[in-house]
Amino acid sequence: MSLQDYQVEMERCSQCSYCWWIPLDQIKSLRFARGCPSVTFNHFNSYSARGKYAVALSLLKGKSQYTPQVLDIVYKCQTCGSCDIACKVCRYNLEPLETILELRAKLVEDGQLLPAHLPIIESLSQEYNMVQGPHAERGKWAEGLSVKNISEGQEAEVVFFAGCKYSYDESLQKNIRSAITLIQKAGVDIGVMAQNETCCGGRAYQMGYRKEFKSCADKIIKTLEKSKTKKIVTSCADCYHSFKRLYPKIGLDIEVLHTVEYIESLSMEGKISYKNPIDMTVTYHDPCHLGRLGEPYIPWSGAEKKVRNQIVVYEPKKPRNNGALGIYDPPRRMLQSIPGLNLVEMERNREYAWCCGAGGGVREAYPEFSQWTASERVEEAKSTGAEAIVSACPWCERNLIDAVSGMGEKLKVYDIIELISLAT
Amino acid sequence: MTLKREVYRAFEDIVGPEYISEDPAVLDSYIYPLNGPAIHLGPYYNVYTPRGEAVLLPGTTEEVQKIVLICNKYRVKLKASSTFWSVQGFPSNDNTIQLDMRRMNRILEIDDKNQFAIIEPGVIGAVLQAEAMKKGLNTHIIGAGSSCSSLAGATSYSGVGPDCLFMGSSNENLLGLEWVMPTGDIVRAGSLGSGIGWFCGEGPGPGIRGIIRGAYGARGAMGVFTKCALKLYPWPGPSALPIEGTIPAYRAALPRNFKGYTLAFPDWKAWADACYGIWDAEIGYIAHRQFNFLGRDLKAAMVRILTDPTKTLYDLETLLKDPEVQALTEEMKRDFQIVMAGMTMRDIEWQDKALDEILAKTGGWKVEAMNEPQISNWSLLYLIRLGHKNLNLVYSGGYDGCFGFLGPPDVGTTYVEDGAEFTKSWESKGAMVDAGGDNMMGGIGGIGGGGNCMWENFTHFDPHDQQSTEGTYDYFEACSYQFAAERGLPPGMERKQAVSTGADGKQTPKEERQRALLASPQPEVYRYQNKIKEILDPNNLGDGYYLTLDEN
Repeated sequence: MSLQDYQVEMERCSQCSYCWWIPLDQIKSLRFARGCPSVTFNHFNSYSARGKYAVALSLLKGKSQYTPQVLDIVYKCQTCGSCDIACKVCRYNLEPLETILELRAKLVEDGQLLPAHLPIIESLSQEYNMVQGPHAERGKWAEGLSVKNISEGQEAEVVFFAGCKYSYDESLQKNIRSAITLIQKAGVDIGVMAQNETCCGGRAYQMGYRKEFKSCADKIIKTLEKSKTKKIVTSCADCYHSFKRLYPKIGLDIEVLHTVEYIESLSMEGKISYKNPIDMTVTYHDPCHLGRLGEPYIPWSGAEKKVRNQIVVYEPKKPRNNGALGIYDPPRRMLQSIPGLNLVEMERNREYAWCCGAGGGVREAYPEFSQWTASERVEEAKSTGAEAIVSACPWCERNLIDAVSGMGEKLKVYDIIELISLAT
Repeated sequence: MTLKREVYRAFEDIVGPEYISEDPAVLDSYIYPLNGPAIHLGPYYNVYTPRGEAVLLPGTTEEVQKIVLICNKYRVKLKASSTFWSVQGFPSNDNTIQLDMRRMNRILEIDDKNQFAIIEPGVIGAVLQAEAMKKGLNTHIIGAGSSCSSLAGATSYSGVGPDCLFMGSSNENLLGLEWVMPTGDIVRAGSLGSGIGWFCGEGPGPGIRGIIRGAYGARGAMGVFTKCALKLYPWPGPSALPIEGTIPAYRAALPRNFKGYTLAFPDWKAWADACYGIWDAEIGYIAHRQFNFLGRDLKAAMVRILTDPTKTLYDLETLLKDPEVQALTEEMKRDFQIVMAGMTMRDIEWQDKALDEILAKTGGWKVEAMNEPQISNWSLLYLIRLGHKNLNLVYSGGYDGCFGFLGPPDVGTTYVEDGAEFTKSWESKGAMVDAGGDNMMGGIGGIGGGGNCMWENFTHFDPHDQQSTEGTYDYFEACSYQFAAERGLPPGMERKQAVSTGADGKQTPKEERQRALLASPQPEVYRYQNKIKEILDPNNLGDGYYLTLDEN
């Protein structure tokens, strides 16, 4: 696909501005009615999906050119998919998020790059990670764990993928170490890629760097194929999305699970049980790439056709990807299984959850916007009366921790595995 | 044309550099296609409203006032909009700046004792409703849906919707008002003008509703409305809508004092008699022929799709062959939806009984398949929140309304089959969705019953497809100059905005406007409006949506 292929969508946009909001049925207050961080922070319509359709159309038609503000519009967006969900409450033949990602890819292809992204992409090509850490230290997080290394020829039933953020953010590494320990205690034969793990490429994809994504994916697929592993588990929502939704398009055929799904399945088999009470009221933050963007991949190849003269449908039937089938219940069920723990919901949850602000290259290029987005989530968590906000993604956790700290708040931030470990 | 640097700097000094832009791409996200939703002119393929000179995002009334004063000083036109839903919210002239009002988005107060809310332009219906419900109140939501600015409907456009029966139309709900006139003066209207609060639109204090909006609204052509108070109504339901279900088939199971039905009738006379019966009995909270906008032949199948998250438009053709759906399509031919809200359980029991009597008298019935709990709860939520009105565009992204038989139920029902046959013959040509000819939807009367039903015949087309757009244009021409003309009717809503905006997206040439207004039943109204405009907008900052006729 190219941006040109999406012109039809740009011309069929409803101009309704549903993309500014969470689904209108779900609005419970003025304070937390907004869905799209980009247009809420930047105000101009151009920053909404509706506006980006219009900007893209203007560029395609040669009515405007690349300018610093155009770059700002295109890149100052977490690609969180809130617009996509809100649009698809009513529209069955638009893909706003795909169009936004295609617009980014076009900018990258045309050399319209953000200086703040360049060191990250350089780190990806030199050190195989998105956080500018030395590749030599990639596997350090697993030191001391008795775990197989599948990239060194050892075979394992399940491979655990740490991802860039966990591999280099030392203060978060306790979560994945706990995950490994929990899984091993359940009797599972688990391996890691250790130092030979490389970035999944998902964040590069979000930023518009398609070639870099492909190169990352090719490397990992090769390693996985060599290892003969049939199941990959990750605690990172971004990596999960890459493996689940992006890799199958280029040939990965393997079961992909997020840690919350896997540990829940182990606990349902009676291999993990929650015994220790945690007396705390918590709220759960749905990571975008695990929730609304974490739906199963259903291969589709087909074309548009019209029925009843002018109704646009797709032959064969095309999956909708509107957030309905995201991973929402396993983490909630796990939290509710912990004795003493009280789970309360934020106003915006599940498919219409507000983004943490870290994605799409925004944390790196627009720290103020990224932190504002996270601080909005912190405010929302506080409004529930919760003592802690729990998530299932290191990017969310890091951004929320930084926001809480910047705001001088006392709200605790946990990865769900940390609480599960305490409870088992 | 580009703003002179001194003018741009003057604007920039008011709002700050982060809230003004003249970047061409930004400006192109503030233009509107003339095949967009409900433009009521054209539709014209690949035509857009003129690009503004700059977009400004004011944050306060004082900033708006300063902007307007600069516009007067440098003779720059202006157009303000809040949620940018249709063509009238966009410039129709060059040399126009656009005010995007979304930063002014506060609910300043909800006075539950006196039942009104004070809001700014960026507040949408869904938000106001959610906040009002916390205080046992509800707000009228316009037919375009709850994504639209509540202030815009109240101050600047017609503002009708499904709940008019209980909550009136927007113009009836407009109370105190703050208005930055085209001269830059600030007027505080109604009781607000006497400094005694927002509770009344007409006084004590200046009563200007007739001047600033009349029945139809000045559509952004007469200054900028910065705050207003809106009347609220009792909401005998929970403080938050209890939403359940999987996207997009959200639904709300409301307490037993709420009833939602789809009613159907053996003939159009019975349909109209039921409306009169409902008004006489003074029952109902919302009443509307809503789902028929999807088309008489398609609505039953579409309701199946919309209430089942696994289905897509791809399933439509299969569903249309399903005998159950076919039977339902036939059963729902002459239908409307009603929501009743009992202020007490006795009240709802009485309303239900009264409705049953009306149905017995008219031979009407409750459509059982639509009253099955999952569908009924979906329909209840749909009608109360009006959060799915983008379904107007569900088929391929384009729709517009035609005919518009505004009047008592007898008017619409007189023309409905005739209009359906006429439309069907055009649908068969292929440019528009073949939906069954009768795609007419509209409200069942105004506040307290009686008054108007509004019948808008939805025409669905593909705005990306030139032949579809142009074929729809031909149909609308035939609606005005064949169907209407042959029956002695004026052109319908398909041409409502045509007197203001022309085929090039710009303001209709003056001679053409004058000719059209001279031919209207009461041209002196527009001469009077001309005098008003000369006084209130001496530098002609507004556009042709405020209709005026020269003296000669």
